[in-house]
Amino acid sequence: MLTADVEVDRRDFTVHASLTVAAGERVALFGPSGAGKTTVLETIAGLVWPRRGLVELGGRVLTSTGSPAVEVPPWQRRVGLLRQDPGLFPHLPVRANLLYARSAAGAELATIARQLGIDELLPVMPARLSGGQRHRVALGRLLLAHCDALLLDEPFASLDETLRRALTVLVKDLSSERKVPSVLVTHQLSDAQAFADRLLVMDQGSVLQAGAPDEVVLRPASRRVAELVGYLGFVPAAADGGGHGSAGSPAGSGAAGSAGPDAGVVAGVHPDRVMPGADPSRGLVVTGTVEAARPSGAGWEADLRSGDASFTCRLPDRPDSALVSVTLLDPPLFAPDGSLIPAAAGVSPPA
Amino acid sequence: MITLLTHLSWGETLSALTGPGNLDPLIVSLAAGGVTLAVLILVCTPLSWMLARGRLPLPRLWEAGLLCSLLLPPLVIGLLLVFMVGPYTPIGHVLGWLHQDATNTFLALVIAEVYESAPYYVLGAQAAFAAVDTQLEQQAGLLGDPPRRVFRRVTLPLAAPGLAMALAVAWARAIGAFGAVVIIAYHPFGIPLQIFVTLQETGLASALPFALVLLVVALPLPMAAYVWSARADRRRRG
Repeated sequence: MLTADVEVDRRDFTVHASLTVAAGERVALFGPSGAGKTTVLETIAGLVWPRRGLVELGGRVLTSTGSPAVEVPPWQRRVGLLRQDPGLFPHLPVRANLLYARSAAGAELATIARQLGIDELLPVMPARLSGGQRHRVALGRLLLAHCDALLLDEPFASLDETLRRALTVLVKDLSSERKVPSVLVTHQLSDAQAFADRLLVMDQGSVLQAGAPDEVVLRPASRRVAELVGYLGFVPAAADGGGHGSAGSPAGSGAAGSAGPDAGVVAGVHPDRVMPGADPSRGLVVTGTVEAARPSGAGWEADLRSGDASFTCRLPDRPDSALVSVTLLDPPLFAPDGSLIPAAAGVSPPA
Repeated sequence: MITLLTHLSWGETLSALTGPGNLDPLIVSLAAGGVTLAVLILVCTPLSWMLARGRLPLPRLWEAGLLCSLLLPPLVIGLLLVFMVGPYTPIGHVLGWLHQDATNTFLALVIAEVYESAPYYVLGAQAAFAAVDTQLEQQAGLLGDPPRRVFRRVTLPLAAPGLAMALAVAWARAIGAFGAVVIIAYHPFGIPLQIFVTLQETGLASALPFALVLLVVALPLPMAAYVWSARADRRRRG
């Protein structure tokens, strides 16, 4: 098990994170660039010394600012770190890179190389490898080093989506198989969801919310978390429980329907949690004017305006009129201070 | 090189090089150059690494000092060395207690060569170390290597081509050192002084064979360094 509770001073804010990752569990630190996610990883790896903190791995204290202070150097931590730059040693062929830590037997090398699909690349120099192959070799090197924890700092961010997803699933399977606690840092929500059992949302050095990936997306703890996990607009709503009813009008003439908007209460609009048409039994009905529509994937993305609020949603078909009604499926409601209104709690399954 | 070869008389060259004691300066130059390289490797390599990694206090001051000794005319370096290590200076007194003298001795020749060549080596080696990605060193550390082993397994092999080129330049500079040498280490003289003395005493034609010797001695190391660096680069590119 990996536990870390650290505070690290940065120029503009203090990074404070507390996380516990069980053996074989996968946690994702998700947040915008500069939120302090990498600082947390580097503190666990021993590359950054915290102002205050405790890092333990498998019962070993790696960092402690208490008395007595403990600072296990990086080379004795048995913590593997995989960055966006895979960091292969350019003067060594793939085989020597894989065996760099010298803790693996030849049979294990063959097994891992086969699992990663790099068994034919062993004599090749890193300069001849593609981006995906380099990351596979770097991953294999960490696995052969028998690290007690796996830290992944946006390792596949520079790769195309298909390759990124394939490698993410590969790491997920391998870390579970080896019962290694793993922490992924990413600013791509889809990567975090594909990888993690648990998601920690970070912003400005603080953990804003922790929970299962679907729970965090469907019930963001605050308006800020909602913005970070992809909510693209907020419309006035009534806090009548569950976010059902209707809200807004295209001309800004106030609320209509069974539940009028409360002052300052808003419903979050996630573009993927919108259904065309009005169905108050499934969520909040919003009627708005179409400001723009463009193809998106297999459907359409539309910018709607309802009163003073505007939001973006994805629809299966191109809106056929300037005025459309949509249903926000079980949207989270936020109080004027930005916090989630508890009455709206109770996670609905994805539609 | 072509000019030199076209103006050489092979008969005169043979007689000049086979004269009694005529190759002694070559031996002196090779010995002093070898000791100089050893000093550069042992003392200046760690200094270069510390400069590249910002491990020295007042790094700008160090760099300014190196640039000064690079830009100063060698003759001036010789004059200043007299005031630094001459017999009436504190360092001269210490050397005296050790029964050593830093003027007109082999030691003086080595000191002059070190002063003339060190800036070339340190600046080249600093650039070679700075070009090594520190994230690779971090990665090696996280894979279990303590700092010294990281230096041996990652930093040194990656910086080696640059270090070899820097050493080759320093060698050429040391073996051909004249300005500082003529002031502080006239005896025992090496090849450059022999060229100068021969030129003064018997003329240009007699000095040319020794110029050829200097080139033959000075060139192989830089050439070998260049070939080796290019080969290492090719190997890395697979």
